[in-house]
Amino acid sequence: MNRLTQSMILVLLGGAVLRITTVSTTYLNYVKPGFRPFLIAAGVVVLALGVIGLVQEWRGSDRDDSHTPGVAWLLTLPVFAIFLIAPPALGAFSAKSEEAQAKPVAAAYDALPAGTVHEMTIGEFVGRAWGESADSLVGQQVRLTGFAVPSEKKKDRWYLARIQIACCAADGVALKVAVLDADMPPENTWVEVVGTWRRPPSGRLEPGTVAPELTAASITPIPQPVEPYE
Amino acid sequence: MSERVGVEVSEEVPPPEWGRRQPLGAVSPWIFVVVVGLLLLGRLVFAPYLTAPALQAWATIFVAICVQALPFLAFGVLLSAAITAFVPASFWTRALPRRPFLAVPVAGAAGAVLPGCECASVPVASGLMARGVTPAAALAFLLASPAINPVVIVATVVAFPGEPMMAVARFGASLTVAVVAGWVWLRFGRAGWLRIPSRPVGHGPKWRSFVEAMRHDFLHAGGFLVVGGATAATMNVVVPRAWLESVAGIPVVSVLVLALLAVILSICSEADAFVAASLTAFSPTAKLAFLVVGPMVDLKLIALQTGTFGRRFAARFIPLTFVLAVAVSMAAGEVLL
Repeated sequence: MNRLTQSMILVLLGGAVLRITTVSTTYLNYVKPGFRPFLIAAGVVVLALGVIGLVQEWRGSDRDDSHTPGVAWLLTLPVFAIFLIAPPALGAFSAKSEEAQAKPVAAAYDALPAGTVHEMTIGEFVGRAWGESADSLVGQQVRLTGFAVPSEKKKDRWYLARIQIACCAADGVALKVAVLDADMPPENTWVEVVGTWRRPPSGRLEPGTVAPELTAASITPIPQPVEPYE
Repeated sequence: MSERVGVEVSEEVPPPEWGRRQPLGAVSPWIFVVVVGLLLLGRLVFAPYLTAPALQAWATIFVAICVQALPFLAFGVLLSAAITAFVPASFWTRALPRRPFLAVPVAGAAGAVLPGCECASVPVASGLMARGVTPAAALAFLLASPAINPVVIVATVVAFPGEPMMAVARFGASLTVAVVAGWVWLRFGRAGWLRIPSRPVGHGPKWRSFVEAMRHDFLHAGGFLVVGGATAATMNVVVPRAWLESVAGIPVVSVLVLALLAVILSICSEADAFVAASLTAFSPTAKLAFLVVGPMVDLKLIALQTGTFGRRFAARFIPLTFVLAVAVSMAAGEVLL
């Protein structure tokens, strides 16, 4: 692989990274929003390396073909994936398995004021329902945003799910709430559900066991949020 | 461009390529043109069909691993190139103790100051070796820095609220493994096993060799990072986590299972604490093993180390690190957690 090719690969890669971070919000399908400045900086550095190489090649200033192994070709793979598959945010496919749910990290929640619909993340709802603060949900209407996932075990049961990431999509974990008294929208549709928590018959749920349940009052289909993860 | 071509033609007739096999280097720009052509064609023709959920989930995770690692890799490569181009070799002989036996723990502890993840530490360690630092000391740095830097320790504290000992145990166990691995390499390692990467020496000004080293390291390490990312994404989609959780209750097996999970998932060391915290079914010792093994041995690191230091090195050093990491985690978990 000669310098010209190396430089072109760098330009392609740097360009792809800048494309998904500056002119679109595609990068939010892969990483946390906080990564943006670092990604832009890295994209600029890679692009600059490529452009410097092209300029040097143009001027013909040195002709040493430094030995770069063919493995550098693989750097075009992520570019192919970005442009061809245009990978969407993780959705129902990744939330399907019925393994024990992840336990949300935060522990203590404040009491909720009465009389309004509380907008909260699925993570917070699950955290409240599982923990000491479960009573704070009694009699409160909440609005949750997520996508629809059918249950693999029980017919007629479906979940409102959202993927929570700490850093990038590779560490995503699915958070799920079972929605009662409502027909399931098509799989993977984004919806807003307003409803109330249903206390489990046993009184309390062990954290990290079954999904808490929500009795739905209304379900509204919505477009996928810009930030698909929690 | 046209000017240069003109000069070459007038110098030698017939041109020197005649009667020789075209070197691959001359063809590769054309391969590149084909690649870009495929890309444009594929976007129009194939993109509508590439919609299977499993493929999309794989692609999302693959791209996520690559995209997320890119800033760290770029930073690591930049730092490594700066070390080779601007820091004189004499600095390292003064900064590190002369006796290799002492240089190993000093280099390991120095890992605490580089706030990066494991992708950054491989090129930096290779830059240190190229600058004459004892390989064993550079290796201790390589293992320690992704696990014990402030960002990672703070993330661990946040992910385990009310369990500060987890962060303490992680710091202690990781540093211990790094130093012991360095010493073992110092005592038993042979020079022939480790390929110390040679760098293209640029002529002329320093910034020139800086750019040259950066570009070389980035292309090299980046390619191997992609190999690791693709493998990790495949494992992530194919291996159901459900059957990992079925062994959560068995003492030693659960530790081994989480250690292997850390290798397979290849999560950045700055995020792995959150994942470990979510594995509620497992014992604290097993989670500690996950946190200690992850930054030192995982699929993308295996690919990066093999590419940077050679297969003979990776085949010996990676199992050594893995065994040490699991053993030290078990001991630390017994004492501290």
